Amino acid sequence: MSALLLPHALLLQLAANPQSGVALPPHWGWLVILYFFLGGLAAGSYFIATMLELVGDPRDEEAIRLGYLIAFPLVVVCGLLLVLDLGKPLRFWHMLIQSERVPLPILKAWSPISVGSWVLTAFGFFAFVSFVGVLVEQGRLRWDPLVRADRWARERPRPFSILWGIAGAFFAFFLAGYTGVLVTGTSLPFWHNARLMGGLFLASAASTSYALMILLLLRRDRTAAGVTVAKLERADRLAIVLELIILAVMILLLGSVARPMIAGGFGVVFWLGVVLLGLVTPLVLHWRRHRAAAAVVTPGGRVAAHASAGDGYRRAALSATCVLVGGLLLRFVIVMSPQWPRVPLWYL
Amino acid sequence: MAKGFYTDTTICIGCKACQVACHQWNQLPAEEGGRRELSGRSYDNTVRLSALNWRHVKFIEQIPESRAQTGFMQGSRWLMMSDVCKHCVRAGCLEVCPTGAIIRTEFDSVFIQQDVCNGCRACVGACPFGVVDIGEDGKAHKCTLCYDRLQHGMEPACAQACPTDSIRFGEVSDLMQLAERRAAELKAQGVNGYVYGKEDIVGGLNAFYVLVDEPHVYGLPDKPELPSANVDSGFAVSAATAAALAVTGVVSFRKNRMDEMAAAEEGTVRDEPRRLSWQEDDTLPPPDDTRGGPR
Repeated sequence: MSALLLPHALLLQLAANPQSGVALPPHWGWLVILYFFLGGLAAGSYFIATMLELVGDPRDEEAIRLGYLIAFPLVVVCGLLLVLDLGKPLRFWHMLIQSERVPLPILKAWSPISVGSWVLTAFGFFAFVSFVGVLVEQGRLRWDPLVRADRWARERPRPFSILWGIAGAFFAFFLAGYTGVLVTGTSLPFWHNARLMGGLFLASAASTSYALMILLLLRRDRTAAGVTVAKLERADRLAIVLELIILAVMILLLGSVARPMIAGGFGVVFWLGVVLLGLVTPLVLHWRRHRAAAAVVTPGGRVAAHASAGDGYRRAALSATCVLVGGLLLRFVIVMSPQWPRVPLWYL
Repeated sequence: MAKGFYTDTTICIGCKACQVACHQWNQLPAEEGGRRELSGRSYDNTVRLSALNWRHVKFIEQIPESRAQTGFMQGSRWLMMSDVCKHCVRAGCLEVCPTGAIIRTEFDSVFIQQDVCNGCRACVGACPFGVVDIGEDGKAHKCTLCYDRLQHGMEPACAQACPTDSIRFGEVSDLMQLAERRAAELKAQGVNGYVYGKEDIVGGLNAFYVLVDEPHVYGLPDKPELPSANVDSGFAVSAATAAALAVTGVVSFRKNRMDEMAAAEEGTVRDEPRRLSWQEDDTLPPPDDTRGGPR
């Protein structure tokens, strides 16, 4: 099938130097797939909230709160997924602390899984602080020391909050991207040679997070969130385009090494589920919505425009759902395709 | 003082004494209570190295398509090779292990500390040779180079049991000299013998081989790379993508404000109520623009 998709000579040329490993699949199953997906969402929603806080306007308040409110619970779920995935779950702390020399920490800067453990912890801290901040702000949490801490934090000068936001966003980006580098740091040929995987996961994390925020904002209030939703859709469009570019370059660079993902049954899921449903469809829906809006608004003004509002809402929700489904399928084909059939499709 | 194995595959007779000795010394139980399906691959029913098989004798039958062409047994070859952990000088598994469970011992061998390993399986995917495996207990297992025997001045069980001295244990530098000499000897006999595991193979293998065919014929990678080879460029690509996402985010998020500022500067006040998100369009001509006249 891959031969149909790329000229054979090109395939051979591009695959000139594939690393030939005989590595065993590490049996990373659905716990890891879900972690990659939800970790991307946690990081992305935190990043979006931070960005809106730094460069947005007062109308984005709702989205900022929403982003911080979903980021932390998702990080907690991510942590649980990772702990459950271990062969010895109770030894999860060995990832951070030298078990023979407690409490000395262990960090291998050259090992993505070691760095990732620390980044997840650090990001969890940032997400937790912002989460508590929103709860206090909403008056849902009234414990006095927290309220005072919150007031103190809000009275800090602007540079402080900017630095804080940048630090949090850094860990968010790292969390979303390192999962891609994690699979690059193996000896399975497809994973090992995919140098663009980190970038792909980042772009996908951003795009799925925009989609999740759009869906939640639309659910909450179909009209009031309009300005923010428009911003998010604009950003999502760019993220999807970026993701498509990275994906195309990655496949071209990999050539025949990408065969596990782009050929056979996984190829069907990839081309139809990831590319067509998850990337092309949302872009087409965005574009068609704009054409429809333009056609309706220009002649008559507002009245006619409102008539298409329900239709537009459905399209916005549909395109966001497609992005989310595509993002999950992307992680499924990337994680599973080089491991199958030694690792069954339903392996946890 | 690096200790290791030199395995001369040309004198391996496929007796599997190394496998048995390894099982016995390390008290490795039989898989599935000893019930075993025949693999159909020559005499090899172990199939691969695993958590319970730290030695694995491979049988590679090279028999021409048609024996009529070459005559009985002419042009046929039966390669045998006792596979084991390579105890790499630059070990992918050790490099990636986040818990510090995998260490380099005083014998320069690579050893998994069972009381530290938490079963994250990073080493399984990292090993370019497919050696490390997860056991029933959820932890990573592989050849220890008989660390316990070495500490008492003994040689590993497999090397001691090998009846033809195909597996030799000793100082790596000494063994390498032997191997080079053997390869030269084979070449003189017209056989393409060579050493697999010199510095060109991930910085050198402390358990190396003399082979007489391409590495992949033996199921070994022709030119393995360390798992970390592309990690730096992976992070660089991630950083670039992060920057691109930050820029597109800022541009998209600030666009409304920019539009409003531009409108304010031009002195036009938009009295039209804010349109709904799905009606907003950057490319729309302002519907209430009455200043008229093409510019």
